Amino acid sequence: MAGELKQNMAGDRQLIRAALLGETSAFGAIVERYWNMVVALALSKVSDAAEAEDIAQESFLKAYSQLAGLRNPSHFAGWLSKITMQQCSNSLRRTVRCSRALGCRATPIEALEEQPAMTANPGLTQNQIHFVRQTVRGLPEKFRTMIVMRFVADLSTVQIAEQLGKRPGTVRVLLHRAYKLLRKDLAPLLEEVKL
Amino acid sequence: MMTCEKYKNLIEKYVEGTISDGQLAELKNHMETCESCRGEFERCVLLQDVVRQALSSRTSAEQAGASLLDKISSETNHPLAPARYGTALFAGKRAPIAAGILLAIGLFLGFTIGRAGNPAQIPLTAQMPMSVGKIGGTVLVRHEGSDVWQALEAGSNIYLGDTFHSTAKSVCVLKLDEESTLELNQNSMLVLKLYNGQTQFFLERGECTASLESPHGPFFISTPNGRVEALGTEFTVTVTDE
Repeated sequence: MAGELKQNMAGDRQLIRAALLGETSAFGAIVERYWNMVVALALSKVSDAAEAEDIAQESFLKAYSQLAGLRNPSHFAGWLSKITMQQCSNSLRRTVRCSRALGCRATPIEALEEQPAMTANPGLTQNQIHFVRQTVRGLPEKFRTMIVMRFVADLSTVQIAEQLGKRPGTVRVLLHRAYKLLRKDLAPLLEEVKL
Repeated sequence: MMTCEKYKNLIEKYVEGTISDGQLAELKNHMETCESCRGEFERCVLLQDVVRQALSSRTSAEQAGASLLDKISSETNHPLAPARYGTALFAGKRAPIAAGILLAIGLFLGFTIGRAGNPAQIPLTAQMPMSVGKIGGTVLVRHEGSDVWQALEAGSNIYLGDTFHSTAKSVCVLKLDEESTLELNQNSMLVLKLYNGQTQFFLERGECTASLESPHGPFFISTPNGRVEALGTEFTVTVTDE
């Protein structure tokens, strides 16, 4: 696991160095590596999938423009997650302003049709996906980041700690708390899916 | 049960992503015979899977990478500026460095202006028209930067940094303007200072009485024990050894 961690960090460092030297394809590889994590982070804060992907694009563009300012390339994922959360906040502010100005209304859950969701892994129904996303959004932000980095980006608690500049023990505690909450809140859905 | 405790820890390690291949194999081996641990492990895997599915993107990572590269090349005609020597050292610290430089310039200017505006021999009349009114007995004055005490005379100029010392049974009146006066009673010492661009009366010891016109702006007399603000038109401040 430690070897894998070093390999990942070294990979990030090399790709970032290459991107800074003008090799844009290296940044493309970075996007591929972290795209799912960034979209998941955005989906853990905003409800609209298209909006989440827009936020992910904006986050990567911002990261690209500020890449030279990244102090430690080994902390790229943590840095990117902070940019994403900031972009989410900006987007939410814009949405609030728009809805106030135009009187827009969000689609109520009852209006959503029971149909396979448009995701890369269409195993859950749209309502189930909505329920899971809503549950994740209900978690405190520090829990959400842990859950996404662990379950979606597949980073271990040691790697998450390294990325976020926290102690591994702290990350372990936070992850287990988040995990416990999720298991409790998603218990009915897990029973349903298991059947 | 003791053995299951060990495997529960391994399941926790699985959740944390810190389980080794050997430990995973050992856990799988145990789960073949232990239904409880198998159920627990399956619930963990299912939860992770459900969260991953629910938060997955509609666009594949490869497509997203290609699309972003197109966007980058269409939006910027030149590639990203390469990192120069020193960039990494100062990266992310530019704002604090800039703030530090500005603070240093500000302090330097403030110090220079403060010095320029605070020479020993500038009459206060420019800031607060003041002069020495009546004098009874012997009142001494010492100018800033001098060790010599001189006898104060009525109508003489007052300078910033002056220290007034009224001896026993002596009194002097400083005219702040047409209507306002500051009377220094016997055995007192008063210093004129500049504080935050304002003339400050610092009563080191003794007693002084201020008579101010109404209405008046903020007026303070500082003492070694604190600062007194005049709210009315007439007030006396006394500094005693107690």
